[in-house]
Amino acid sequence: MTSVTYENVVKKFGEMTAVDNINFHVDDKEFLVLVGPSGCGKTTALRLLAGLEEISSGEIKIGDRVVNDVAPKDRDIAMVFQSYALYPHLSVYDNMAFGLKLRKVNKDEIKRRVTEAADVLGITDLLQRKPRQLSGGQRQRVAVGRAIVREPKVFLFDEPLSNLDAKLRVQMRAEISKLHQRLQTTFIYVTHDQTEAMTMATRIAVINKGKLQQIDTPQNLYDHPGNLFVAGFIGSPAMNFFPGKLRKDGDKIVVDTGDFVVPIPAAKAAPYKPHTDKDIIFGIRPENIHDADFVPPNIDAEKVAVKVDVTELMGNEIFLYLVSGKNTFVARVDPRSKLRVGQQAQVMFDMDNFHIFDASTEEAIR
Amino acid sequence: MATTTLEISKSAGMARIKKAILPYVYLLPAFVVMSVITFYPLIYQVIISFTDFQTKDLLKQLASPNLNYIGVKNYVDIVTGGLPVQNFEFFRVLTYNIWWAVTNVLVHVPAGVLIAVLLNTQGLWGKKIYRALYVLPVVIPPIVVGTVWKNIFDEQYGAMNQFLTAVVHLFGTADPVRIRWLTEYTPPIPWLLPNGPLTLAYYAMMIANFWLGWPFMTLVATGALQSIPKDLYEAASIDGASGSQQFWNITVPLLRPAMIPAAMYGFTMSFNLFNFVFFMSGGGPARSTEILVTFAYDLVRNLRLYGAAAAFSVIVFFVALIVFLVTNRITRATEAYTEA
Repeated sequence: MTSVTYENVVKKFGEMTAVDNINFHVDDKEFLVLVGPSGCGKTTALRLLAGLEEISSGEIKIGDRVVNDVAPKDRDIAMVFQSYALYPHLSVYDNMAFGLKLRKVNKDEIKRRVTEAADVLGITDLLQRKPRQLSGGQRQRVAVGRAIVREPKVFLFDEPLSNLDAKLRVQMRAEISKLHQRLQTTFIYVTHDQTEAMTMATRIAVINKGKLQQIDTPQNLYDHPGNLFVAGFIGSPAMNFFPGKLRKDGDKIVVDTGDFVVPIPAAKAAPYKPHTDKDIIFGIRPENIHDADFVPPNIDAEKVAVKVDVTELMGNEIFLYLVSGKNTFVARVDPRSKLRVGQQAQVMFDMDNFHIFDASTEEAIR
Repeated sequence: MATTTLEISKSAGMARIKKAILPYVYLLPAFVVMSVITFYPLIYQVIISFTDFQTKDLLKQLASPNLNYIGVKNYVDIVTGGLPVQNFEFFRVLTYNIWWAVTNVLVHVPAGVLIAVLLNTQGLWGKKIYRALYVLPVVIPPIVVGTVWKNIFDEQYGAMNQFLTAVVHLFGTADPVRIRWLTEYTPPIPWLLPNGPLTLAYYAMMIANFWLGWPFMTLVATGALQSIPKDLYEAASIDGASGSQQFWNITVPLLRPAMIPAAMYGFTMSFNLFNFVFFMSGGGPARSTEILVTFAYDLVRNLRLYGAAAAFSVIVFFVALIVFLVTNRITRATEAYTEA
């Protein structure tokens, strides 16, 4: 049973606050991904847990034990670094055995664990090599292997895939997920790549400017972002935002962006009633904007007049870069779409899937 | 048709020859300069090492029929002690010379590394000042250093004896300390180098040369330390390594590629540290701190045995070469751990 708990954790570097009062709880065997833009404090948050940085205030618990003053080696964690941090003068075998040798594990046991880990990771024939003789992907595996052999209670990953090429990254992503299922241990994983977060995590914690923005399952984060930042960060291409106002129009409530007006379906209108005449930001994801010729059945669609600026054919879909007045935005439409650059057209907004944020607090209204 | 093909192949051949010659043309100026200042004296010296070259021969050309070629007699005389010089046994001087160089390196390198590690401590105040200070000994001429330290170790007025006197006074002794640092012949630790006496002068010079030698090692080690990635230490601390385990398992092996060439440089510097030895002890007492180069100088300066001195230099060259090759082989200095 190993959970991890952050309680009011603050980390300051001089005047700069890197981690600003973060609270969350990671359950045993969970795969938690900390995600955020670079410099948001996610790596610092992980390093606090590893014991590589000292906590300014607050508490971090591993299981029931407060580890604020526990040395890294006594926290029963293993960490995979972005740079891999392999010992360049040791062979792959010795790199993996290093921690066990220091812990005075007996030789046969070390051998058993290293061979086993090497087997899992497919690096058995590299054991006698030095790190400099390995490719990036192989070094990555060795770094993971060094963590596995220790059999720690918590695995920490600090952007482990960001030095790999795109193809290898996808492959290693799947392997780390598989590893998590196999080891049944708590994983805490830091990345700036929301795709990695979405594909691997049991839950995602979104961090920005040192503050925890939202923590939830990938699907919930995607469907119900709690604020403007989360909405824009999760999902690719990112959600489209239109500054505007909520207005009463007869018995309906409408979103008026100045360039177009879309009514909110009556069934969904209730939460927005108290906010009429307020400045808001209207958000809609690219896949919820359709070519008028290919609107899926049974959705509550509203017409918006646009001009097509750029088209990007992806094969299974087309990204349309559209202009409506002062707003430019992206739609992800059916590949059969006939819309061409420069054309004036109408696209359909799926009003079953939209988001509205308070313009001043940037919090979701729902 | 046929002629054009021929012409083309002809011009292609010319281009190829041009390409082959061009590098040598570029090298020519350097070669000319080196011939005059390096190769000519070198060859000249090797030639006179086979003669009984003396002062009277200085004005003659090498081709002069009066030059007396005596074969390898100079070499034989040096090795068998046949030179008309007191207190000279070639192998004793050679052993002392190697011992002198080795012990210096053995002290300088670890001390240099240790000081570098201490000065590299995070958040140490005034780092830049220390770094500026420890370059000082490197830039002071060894002649000055030798002379100053000779005075420090002076029997009557030297700072060392005065300091020791002050220390002894603290323990209630009134007598002034009068250690004959540079002139006492009886070795304090007789068994240390069986082949020859390690007089007090040797220890005094070790102290002085330490002052001269560690900053360079610290300089090299500081540079190398800063190139060790910080995350290796972090990985090691998570792996369970204590501070000293990190030092032995990471710092030391990763400093090796930088420190071995530095140690070999230090070895050759100490091995041929002419001006320091010459000015501090003059090779005394009774030639006990003489090294090969100071001895060779003595052969010319005082005894005017140019031929023997030349032979001596050739021997010194080969000794240095052998030592260098052996250490290079043993330590495989060329091996680096660079991740690429």
